[in-house]
Amino acid sequence: MPANKKHLTASPWQRLLKISAGLFGGYLVTLSFHFLLMRFLDKGDVYVTMFFTGFIAWAGLMVLAFLARKGWKIWVFYLSLSLLFLSPYLIDLMYVK
Amino acid sequence: MNIRNYNVFFHTHTISGIIITVLLYVIFFAGSFSFFKNEIDNWQKNTPVDRSLQEHADYKALTDTLDARYGLYGRDVTFYFQQDKRSIYFSLSPSKDTLNPKAAERPYASIDLKTKDIRNYKESYSLGEFLYRLHFLAPVNSLGKFGFPLGYYIAGGVAFLFLFALITGVLVHWQKIVSNFYLFRPWEKLKTVWTDLHTALGVISFPYLFVFAVTGAYFLISYPLFTQPTVKYQFGEKTEIVDSIMGYKVNEYPFGGVPLPKEKTDLGYYVADALQKWGAATTISSVRLLDYGDRNMHVVIEGQAPKTSSFNGKAKIVYQAADGQVTERRDPTVRSSYRDVVNNLMYILHFGKFGGYGTKILYFLLGISGCVVIISGVMIWLVGRDKKHIPEKKRKFNTWLVHIYLAICLSMYPVTAASFIAVKLYPDGGQNYIYRFYFWTWLAVATLLLLFRRNHDKMNRDCLLAGSIIGICIPIVNGLVSGNWIWVSYRNGFHDILLIDIFWLFTAISTFICWWLVLRRQRLKLRALAN
Repeated sequence: MPANKKHLTASPWQRLLKISAGLFGGYLVTLSFHFLLMRFLDKGDVYVTMFFTGFIAWAGLMVLAFLARKGWKIWVFYLSLSLLFLSPYLIDLMYVK
Repeated sequence: MNIRNYNVFFHTHTISGIIITVLLYVIFFAGSFSFFKNEIDNWQKNTPVDRSLQEHADYKALTDTLDARYGLYGRDVTFYFQQDKRSIYFSLSPSKDTLNPKAAERPYASIDLKTKDIRNYKESYSLGEFLYRLHFLAPVNSLGKFGFPLGYYIAGGVAFLFLFALITGVLVHWQKIVSNFYLFRPWEKLKTVWTDLHTALGVISFPYLFVFAVTGAYFLISYPLFTQPTVKYQFGEKTEIVDSIMGYKVNEYPFGGVPLPKEKTDLGYYVADALQKWGAATTISSVRLLDYGDRNMHVVIEGQAPKTSSFNGKAKIVYQAADGQVTERRDPTVRSSYRDVVNNLMYILHFGKFGGYGTKILYFLLGISGCVVIISGVMIWLVGRDKKHIPEKKRKFNTWLVHIYLAICLSMYPVTAASFIAVKLYPDGGQNYIYRFYFWTWLAVATLLLLFRRNHDKMNRDCLLAGSIIGICIPIVNGLVSGNWIWVSYRNGFHDILLIDIFWLFTAISTFICWWLVLRRQRLKLRALAN
């Protein structure tokens, strides 16, 4: 018995937004989070850890993206999360020459 | 669980699963055979492994042979040792000696320790290698010049989608995990059988499948996705930082341009010395001779502690040939660093390189059960949509899609069995022969099934029966061609050849029993319908 359509995204635009948020947004969050860790921990250790945590986190974020009510909301959420994780680097860019 | 979330998980699980079905089946089926890659190669070429050949290998004669053929002076020579094989792979870099007319050549080939035959990669290509490379879609790379390995990226994408499907699948099944853990009802109606196979078997093998999804994605797509951005933004575009983290880094030494006395280039001396330092049980995995025969020649030996004493014991030693001094040394008993463990574990877990044949056989069975989970999922998908309220056109499309999926997937069994016979009859055919045989037969069988067997049950039965009949012939053909009948291999201790023959005997008999059970069940059903 297939899933009940009533609970699924009907609009193709919303669907596209969710899929892209899961794929690209999820990837961005994953990468920026590990970059944040590299800022504070041993870069090499975080780098090898990313080999498995990277894919697991990314897949988890993709699942999460489909649970969102609106596609653009999850995009905004993932983008702001990525910016937050990258903020130490962004501050560097702004203040340190 | 929230009813909306449940439906979202269910739908995304279904869609991601149905997209990757065929490729994932190919990956699992070919991958399962790849655990026995070396045994298949030895079986095909009738070259049973002989440990004493490796232990008493005459390295001096080996390098002399290569020297006479290619001129080794000023080259980097690498030997790759394989415990389960009689031959050693070697690769040579271009020579820094400008007087060598063959300086630009950079051969990658294998040399048989017994017959001293040298064969390049394409000539020594064998069925084990083929199935191994098919399982990450390497043949797709050669379809055109894309500037990147298309096949690897597709397979990596499939692995990642598989990870997604695994997570959503477990979430869908969440509330029944405990109550239905061992629930198999083989005598119920087909839909129930498929549901049990998909959910219970899927959950039981989940840890295994999860490891393969993650490590598979790591091997194939972590380089463009994670390594390249990290190198660019974290390591200041310095790839050598990654090499040193991963332990690939090799120090570069300037070329001296002055030859070294011949006796100082004796590889046998260095191997013996390394083994003496590490203990005789250590296996040598590779030897690199940097700037062979030069004043600045260095010898890099890498080894591995036996798995019974250490899961992760890597060893490395570097000698400076001119004075025999050790410039770098890492013993297998030294505690491994975190990054070494992670890096090594990815390989050990994916390749089943621990616990010997027991692990490999278990891994094979779990791999094939992965195939069962995939196919039963497709069948649930089809049956769930075969309802009166679904438009006729859609139902037709679904049936055809499943026809095509099944024809491609199920035909792999008889085609793979037939390819064992094909390579036994013509073991030195190399890459072209195996490609032609496997892909054309596969296409032909799948097309025939599509044209003449528009019935899933018959398709399944035919593939089981054909695979069983061909499979039972494999040990017989091997006996006829090579004289290594099962009892002969047993008596001579050719454990690798014996393993493949017995493997096919067991597999063919089990699939034959399956065929018989399926046939009986379908006959009973027909009779019940007639009455």
